[in-house]
Amino acid sequence: MLASTTVSAFFPVPSSSSVVSAKASLKAITESPENLDTRGNVAKPISSSGTMEVKAQAQALPKVNGTKIGLKIDAQKIEEDAPSASRTFYNQLPDWSFLFAAITTIFLAAEKQFTLIDWKPRRPDMFGDAFDLGKIMQDGLVFRQNFSVRSYEIGADGTASIETLMNHLQETALNHVRSAGLLGDGFGSTPQMSKRNLIWVVTKMQVLVEQYPSWEDVVEVDTWVAPSGKHGMRRDWHVHDYQTGQTVLRATSVWVMMNKQTRRLSKLPEEVREEIGSYFVDRDPVINEDSRKLPKLEDNTADYVRRGLTPRWGDLDINQHVNNVKYIGWILESVPTSILESYELAGMTLEYRRECGRDSMLQSLSAVSDKSPDGSPDASIECQHLLRMECGAEIVRCRTDWQPKHAQGL
Amino acid sequence: MAEMLRFCAAAGLIRYSEAAVAAAECRGRRRWAAVRCSSRAIPGQEAASRLVAGVGAVGGAEGKGLAERLRLGSLVPDGLSYKESFVVRCYEVGINKTATVETIANLLQEVGCNHAQSVGFSTDGFATTPTMRKLRLIWVTSRMHIEIYKYPAWGDVVEIETWCQGEGRIGTRRDWILKDLATGEVIGRATSKWVMMNQDTRKLQRVSDEVREEYLVFCPRTPRLSFPEENNGSLKKIPKLADPAQYSRLGLVPRRADLDMNQHVNNVTYIGWVLESMPQEIIDTHELQTITLDYRRECQHDDAVDSLTSSEFAENGSTNGIATTKPHDQELQQFLHFLKSSGTGLEINRGRTEWRKLIR
Repeated sequence: MLASTTVSAFFPVPSSSSVVSAKASLKAITESPENLDTRGNVAKPISSSGTMEVKAQAQALPKVNGTKIGLKIDAQKIEEDAPSASRTFYNQLPDWSFLFAAITTIFLAAEKQFTLIDWKPRRPDMFGDAFDLGKIMQDGLVFRQNFSVRSYEIGADGTASIETLMNHLQETALNHVRSAGLLGDGFGSTPQMSKRNLIWVVTKMQVLVEQYPSWEDVVEVDTWVAPSGKHGMRRDWHVHDYQTGQTVLRATSVWVMMNKQTRRLSKLPEEVREEIGSYFVDRDPVINEDSRKLPKLEDNTADYVRRGLTPRWGDLDINQHVNNVKYIGWILESVPTSILESYELAGMTLEYRRECGRDSMLQSLSAVSDKSPDGSPDASIECQHLLRMECGAEIVRCRTDWQPKHAQGL
Repeated sequence: MAEMLRFCAAAGLIRYSEAAVAAAECRGRRRWAAVRCSSRAIPGQEAASRLVAGVGAVGGAEGKGLAERLRLGSLVPDGLSYKESFVVRCYEVGINKTATVETIANLLQEVGCNHAQSVGFSTDGFATTPTMRKLRLIWVTSRMHIEIYKYPAWGDVVEIETWCQGEGRIGTRRDWILKDLATGEVIGRATSKWVMMNQDTRKLQRVSDEVREEYLVFCPRTPRLSFPEENNGSLKKIPKLADPAQYSRLGLVPRRADLDMNQHVNNVTYIGWVLESMPQEIIDTHELQTITLDYRRECQHDDAVDSLTSSEFAENGSTNGIATTKPHDQELQQFLHFLKSSGTGLEINRGRTEWRKLIR
């Protein structure tokens, strides 16, 4: 079944035998895991082609409804019970790595199960912590994930763009749901929500940025959820610079439930509350709510207008809707270069009104408030924004706060 | 053993990257060598001590180790190519639930950049050698060819290996191989051609022997091609579209996010523009398998661009009067593309794409 040549193709580096066996086992997966239940617990022999039969016990994480694949396995509980003829591959390995191969086999078979479920991401847990895919912290409530800033995520001024930071927030939100074993169909919907064709939609987002990371900096993102009113959900984030521990940004968002087909808002069903209620944290929002009304800009009240913005193919998510982080880029399109060059975006409040798809033609309007009457260069600036369709339908209202850039050597 | 390696690296006796990989293996751990030797124009001593800290961290210590581990890229032991792995993030996934071609192109660019940085080239985004910097020369892409056999999905880990080598007298080339780290299967290949240009005059220049010596030491000794087969797609000439084009999208403008650190439109943005004029019926039913782009002129941040597309064999549409299958039913579709400045009509790019039918 396996030869050393496959290993060398996978990894052209001569390695110690333990490494060989681990990688060899990665290639060994050809079986279909009919016997895995959807939660991923291995119940029975993994394949009919005669590899070993193992039972594994996933370590349960606290406060989680339902079972799921834990990242750790209680190694002592693994039994193997396979006919000797089928062990030809494993016979080549030293004994202790046999166990290792067993563990990776389980994970990969489980991973395969996930791939059978349409779009659900394959979960290469066997990479362990070599790739930081985030994890739920000890308290069972906060999810943490680290990101290294990539070169193409850097804006024209050498620091990570606000879109990059918002993308990280979105990624952690989804990974949180996934880690909790609550990933149903559709981005971020739990199984009970998917059954009812419900999805979360964001209505409000507030972000306060204290510093922007540079290329190759590592940011640590913590996120958690809380109730918002009777039928909504709040998701908060706190991002730190991994090296220094300083705050990079804080963000809070409000979500409501909507029926995917009818596009009407919905109450939070009891069954969904049961799924997610145990994750709700009893904490104040990480940012004090900015309850100032966001005005609606018109052509005659806007200082700058940018027309003709259209979504590209790459802007669309799996539902062919524009990813809501893209809106921020469009909002900033109508901010004059003079502000972008001398000021840094320090705060943003967004109210999401409508979504848009591929065929929308959008306009971005901005108005600059005179923050300080004497117009001193050290003062901060506040802007109002509106992103709307050509026909006038509002997509997003926004307020931004800008601080003068520090004189940093870039 | 590990200590000895560290000492040797610090003393400059062996390459930092070799020390790191060897040290990692000494521990017998199933861990990808995650320490990168990033000299970044800092003095050698400082670089050595940073590396030592990094090597120590490969053993699993927290702190600096995590930063290195997260980047997960390094020169391979012979130092002639560079490998890095990336997790596909949710916002990099498009309408097909898989990574978009722009994401792939971004990752290719990222790993190319990191390779250059790890061998000590500049980190201003230009990957220039010291002589080039002296002469105000930069690399510019003249051709980009990407083939994707299997698009990765959210959460997949892609391992990309890249290397560069000389290309004739005027340029250099960079090749990539993409693999799904979990299965080891090759999911894509890419190659690109680069020429040298004076940063100020924007005029092309031949690669002098001086410059060639500087970077050849990091290139494979014998030619190594990601597309070794004869007459492969990366070598095909791209004809100009016949006028009028079948499909078009006019007046595309660069967004702020399209500008790189040097205020020029990022190479990857052109890919998005080329695809803008693709008809919806193909986008809905097919997946991009191959894209070849010839870069002719640069685009400034205040230019507007027209994107034109035609099916490559439109003229042969109906052969012998037999009704052909509808476009969206055919297995493999080929298109020619043309990007031109809206104002002047001058060519910016031309391209060719191949699309394979999606199995839904």
